[in-house]
Amino acid sequence: MKQMTISPVTRVEGHGEVRIDLNDRGEVERAHFSVVELRGFERFLVGAAVEEAPRITPRICGICPTSHHLAAAKALDQIFGAEPPEAGKKLRELMMLGQYIHSHALHFFMLAAPDYLLPGAGEGDRNVMGLAKGSMELVKKAIAVRKFGQRITEAVGGKPIHPATGVPGGVSHPIQESQRASLLQMAEGVLAAAIESWEIAHSLMDKIDPSVGLVNTAFMGMQKGGLFTFDGGQVQVCSPEGTTLGSFSGADYVSQMEEYTEDWSYLKFCRLKAGQPYRVGPLARLNIVNSMGTSEADKALAEYRKKYGRVVQTTLAYNIARYVEFLWACERAKELLQDSALTAQKTRTPVEGVVNRRGVGIIEAPRGTLIHDYTVNEAGIIERCNLIVATCQNNYAMDRSVEEVARRVIRDGKPIDGGVNLIESVIRAYDPCLSCATHMIKTENGRMASRPFIKICISGVR
Amino acid sequence: MKIAIEELAGCSGCTISLLDIHEELLNVLKDHEIVYSPVIMDVKEPPNDIDIAFVTGAVRNEENEKRLKEIRRKAKKVVALGTCACYGGISGLSMLSSNEEIFRCVYQGVETVKEGNLVPGKVPPFLYRAFAVGDLARVDYYITGCPPKEHYLNMILPLLLKGEKPGLPRKSVCAECDRVMGSVEGWKMKRRHEGTPDREHCLLGQGYLCLGSVTFGRCGATCPHNNIPCHGCNGPSLDILREPCRDIHNLIVRRIVDLTGLPAAQVEKEMFDIAHTLYTFTIGSLIMEDKETSKIRDLVKGGNI
Ligand code: SF4
Ligand code: SF4
Ligand code: SF4
Repeated sequence: MKQMTISPVTRVEGHGEVRIDLNDRGEVERAHFSVVELRGFERFLVGAAVEEAPRITPRICGICPTSHHLAAAKALDQIFGAEPPEAGKKLRELMMLGQYIHSHALHFFMLAAPDYLLPGAGEGDRNVMGLAKGSMELVKKAIAVRKFGQRITEAVGGKPIHPATGVPGGVSHPIQESQRASLLQMAEGVLAAAIESWEIAHSLMDKIDPSVGLVNTAFMGMQKGGLFTFDGGQVQVCSPEGTTLGSFSGADYVSQMEEYTEDWSYLKFCRLKAGQPYRVGPLARLNIVNSMGTSEADKALAEYRKKYGRVVQTTLAYNIARYVEFLWACERAKELLQDSALTAQKTRTPVEGVVNRRGVGIIEAPRGTLIHDYTVNEAGIIERCNLIVATCQNNYAMDRSVEEVARRVIRDGKPIDGGVNLIESVIRAYDPCLSCATHMIKTENGRMASRPFIKICISGVR
Repeated sequence: MKIAIEELAGCSGCTISLLDIHEELLNVLKDHEIVYSPVIMDVKEPPNDIDIAFVTGAVRNEENEKRLKEIRRKAKKVVALGTCACYGGISGLSMLSSNEEIFRCVYQGVETVKEGNLVPGKVPPFLYRAFAVGDLARVDYYITGCPPKEHYLNMILPLLLKGEKPGLPRKSVCAECDRVMGSVEGWKMKRRHEGTPDREHCLLGQGYLCLGSVTFGRCGATCPHNNIPCHGCNGPSLDILREPCRDIHNLIVRRIVDLTGLPAAQVEKEMFDIAHTLYTFTIGSLIMEDKETSKIRDLVKGGNI
């Protein structure tokens, strides 16, 4: 028995590796995506003054800090019993839009696109710098759109990374009319660029092989009256065929899902209570919603569905689904920036002491459903805390996708040309956020301890 | 110059902060080349001829330490980028519990796992404590901030990459803050979320635990500016760094005493959850722990839980 390791998996956020076991004939016995890290936040937040959660938890991930910031703030709204005023809600929405625009643009243009736009490039060039050599215009566009996202977050959140203004009952500070006007001006250009570049995303539909990394799962994502939303809707669960299996909000999440561990990964796995694996994130959300609710994104969605159908299992289609959401976020940001209620002075409902001992904040982060669940004592000190992040929920599917691709690219104990990157590109499709899922621990030799695998037998899949 | 960006125990935010100089990045890349950065490119091992390495994140386990030593060996200059690299940052908070407590909580304690759920295999130990990068390797430059801000990086990166030393402000957050000191009659410590602070007056004077006076500036006092108390994400002020007997806790207490005329003992009594409100970003720093007045040793030993 021989073992092959791809470490670190690159162009993803955080540290992970792929481990492939080969038999004596050089064939793949099994392959796993291992996250050799453990997130300790659930533990070290115990004992913390709960109002610090929105300041501490963004540091889980520097790419999607706003999602953690606002999921925590929403939990605090419940704990301190305050509903944000209209401007507070809208500013939070705008902050999340900034998050989507930056995160999706970063992933699509800067991390994933080189796989498809530079198919023959070598290790040193298959990246955004390589992209710039061939098409500076595209890279400039990518920089401009991502900058818009970060500028929004900075204007509303105070900082583009690790925003700070989300407080129980709303947002700490209004934005100025001049800030709104200059963001709106940026929005026009960015939206035009986003519409123009749909062509690139569209062309990927013909470039990708839909069977690469294919798995069959249920899906989970938020919707509101059938429309796409990242906040304030019901989280819906649908079967692999698209039939609704259930929906929930708030603390009800515990009746729908459970977490479990496998001996070979420090990253937890999630499954539905009935045992099926499911996926979250762009692919799942587009399967759940009827429509996006903005014109360009709906046009793109129609083309996407024409190609893949109404319920999509194709793993690599995550990349295109992500772009559809990116388009939506640009359109919605422009729309929202025209709303004069955004600059109202009252952004915050003042709070005092603890009203409810438990608060559950659920938000659709760019990578999928994110849950922050805090239980506090009367003084507002955290007693229990549960954080469920997208990457744990996609862990099973990612792991199976990896094995599927490993089987097709390993020949006689060696990867074919470009094979290693194909394995990584299927991980990349999920846009995993490994810091979100972790805090890092490795064995003495830097590898996972080698132990007999426990085979997972879950109905429906394999 | 050949640039490397290495990630240890952190959140990738510092790497993103380098991308957050936006179009300036294209100018930087005209003269310099990024040769290694796992978050944005596929090169799996750092090459041998790195001119300048930006190391982000803290050192929490043996793998982090190994990577740090390797990049130090291969790079002419090493920059500790961000508060995690400079002072351990948020990763240091894991020192509040033992490994076993963390595993038990994460894998068996939360509501969505079944009782008796498996704790994954053989669990490798953390290093006995968290470290800042400078605790374990020679560092040429420290750039604080969680993460460092765009304006500030734009100011220093071009110079640093030319091999020049930028002249920089060394003041605290208070020096960048536009608030005025109001009346501090009947001062009482508030929790950071209580009520709505007034926008004109110093937050500390209003009873909110604002760490501006004990925190290194260069962020434009963005949080007080947005009506949020500073929680110290840039790391300790120069005052604290320079003086062995000064520490975040004793200096903020003294500041409140000066402001209010209250006895120090009373102010100390009003402090709450100092692990998460005062030492959030520095608990993993050996330098900060070694100060004779530091409270970190008590926190790590007992946990404040
Ligand atoms: S200093 Fe802050 S932004 Fe940088 S890695 Fe640490 S937590 Fe992330
Ligand atoms: S303590 Fe805070 S609010 Fe007061 S001057 Fe300093 S930074 Fe500003
Ligand atoms: S004001 Fe304080 S908490 Fe806010 S960014 Fe500056 S140093 Fe960090």
